[in-house]
Amino acid sequence: MALFDEQLGEVRRVLESMSAGGAARQFAAGARELWDKGSTLVLQEDTALEMGNPSVASLSLLLWSEDGGVEDGRITLVGPDVGEALKSGSLPFAQVVIVDGTFESEYDSYRDIRDAVYDTRLAGLSIRTMPSKRTLWCRVGRDAADKGLSLIDLGAALIDSVKRLEEVGSAEVVFVTSSAEDVRRLTSPAASAQRLVDAMMKMYQEQNFDCETCEYQDVCDTVMDLKKIRSKLTDSQD
Amino acid sequence: MILAVCGKGGVGKTTVSAIAAQALAEKNGLRALVVDADPAGGLGMALGLTPRRTLNDVRKEIIEEVKEGKRDKRDLSVSLDYLIAEALTERGNMAFLSIGRPEDEGCYCKVNVILKDTIEGLAGRFDATVIDAEAGIEQVNRKVISSVDYMLLVSDTSAKAVRVVETIKDVADRMIGNEGAGLVVNRVRDRAEIEGIQSGTALDVIGWVPEDDTIRRFDGEEKSFLELPDCPARAAIRGALVRAGLL
Ligand SMILES: Nc1ncnc2c1ncn2[C@@H]1O[C@H](COP(=O)(O)OP(=O)(O)OP(=O)(O)O)[C@@H](O)[C@H]1O
Ligand SMILES: [Mg+2]
Repeated sequence: MALFDEQLGEVRRVLESMSAGGAARQFAAGARELWDKGSTLVLQEDTALEMGNPSVASLSLLLWSEDGGVEDGRITLVGPDVGEALKSGSLPFAQVVIVDGTFESEYDSYRDIRDAVYDTRLAGLSIRTMPSKRTLWCRVGRDAADKGLSLIDLGAALIDSVKRLEEVGSAEVVFVTSSAEDVRRLTSPAASAQRLVDAMMKMYQEQNFDCETCEYQDVCDTVMDLKKIRSKLTDSQD
Repeated sequence: MILAVCGKGGVGKTTVSAIAAQALAEKNGLRALVVDADPAGGLGMALGLTPRRTLNDVRKEIIEEVKEGKRDKRDLSVSLDYLIAEALTERGNMAFLSIGRPEDEGCYCKVNVILKDTIEGLAGRFDATVIDAEAGIEQVNRKVISSVDYMLLVSDTSAKAVRVVETIKDVADRMIGNEGAGLVVNRVRDRAEIEGIQSGTALDVIGWVPEDDTIRRFDGEEKSFLELPDCPARAAIRGALVRAGLL
């Protein structure tokens, strides 16, 4: 069992049901050249498309598996791509990054992968994240949209970025832009994944193992991997 | 390029900031970040922009996140980026950020450090940043304002106001270091005043801004300085920026 197995299963089920109507398209990350890195400041005036604006549904999720259950380089798009939505000006947005590998030091791995997700820096694409709310707010600049910036480029950049890490063997990305409802269907696995991450973060940030008073006692006691992390940490304190 | 507008209270810092910000934002579509660092506010009104949230609101939210103890430094800094982006009021290629009034004076040094880093990072992504500083030397003294490329010192024609900017320049030299600095003398009425100041200060005077009815009228009618027509004060402030190599 890996840390996020349960959440990953749920995400897969939700995505499958969304794709059932034929709404999902799949692309390969290697099929195009990587988009240039560059300025990520996009002012309202220069914005061709917003995705996940604070006033619409938005979600960012990072999960891993350790059993090889990730199709390396696959980018799945449920809903319109950038070029198909320019008229609307705004889209709801979910980004799910799923990696597979061996994550012996869960906390370090999580932070490495998370930082790699934060570090795409594509020219003309501003991405802002509010980790505690799991939201993601993107602006595609006019220049970038004119040059054809697509979610496939973002997906490819994310996959490239996380795969630079030693512990990551394969990676795939799913974007959902079809509707606010579809985005919200991922809320439950995302919230539950966040509780795991928060529990792990708290263990490391506070190095406090007074489990009686900890708000994460429930997940910590039931999720094997968190138990492992906790005992690793308490051992190292002795 | 980060420009800080400093001086004694009431000499015209906000007026100069607003006109400078507009001039910079107009220049070949430069993207300008305009920061009202005066807790008393005023620049928003001068620009006709009403921010929904201030940096202090953002700070409060981040302090809550710190208290919860679930976020490490990187998460806090991306959160700040998000919240500050939400707090920006944009008009054309200008983005306005108001510092607001700090309420709780608890010590959150960690937050202040990340906050400063984030704002500096944000400023770095704009072509130009204009900071309307709090009156006096406190913000320079406490290094609230640092990594400034140019100190735009503003005084009126009073000897007191000139002494204040000399002190600011002094403190800045010691606290911040080798940035450029120039003095704009505001509300000048006649030749004699110019001669008096010229012989009395070693500061590099980059502009003489006349007392101007248009400024007074705009101020009285609470009109946005972004709509200010060409007038002698506006021309003089723009001239000062050119002289300083900023425009
Ligand atoms: N050149 C000018 N001609 C006429 N009036 C001016 C001129 N410059 C500034 N004023 C007026 O002087 C007053 C003070 O100016 P301003 O608010 O810009 O000063 P300040 O230094 O920002 O003040 P504070 O320290 O209170 O923030 C305002 O009413 C403004 O309209
Ligand atoms: Mg002022």
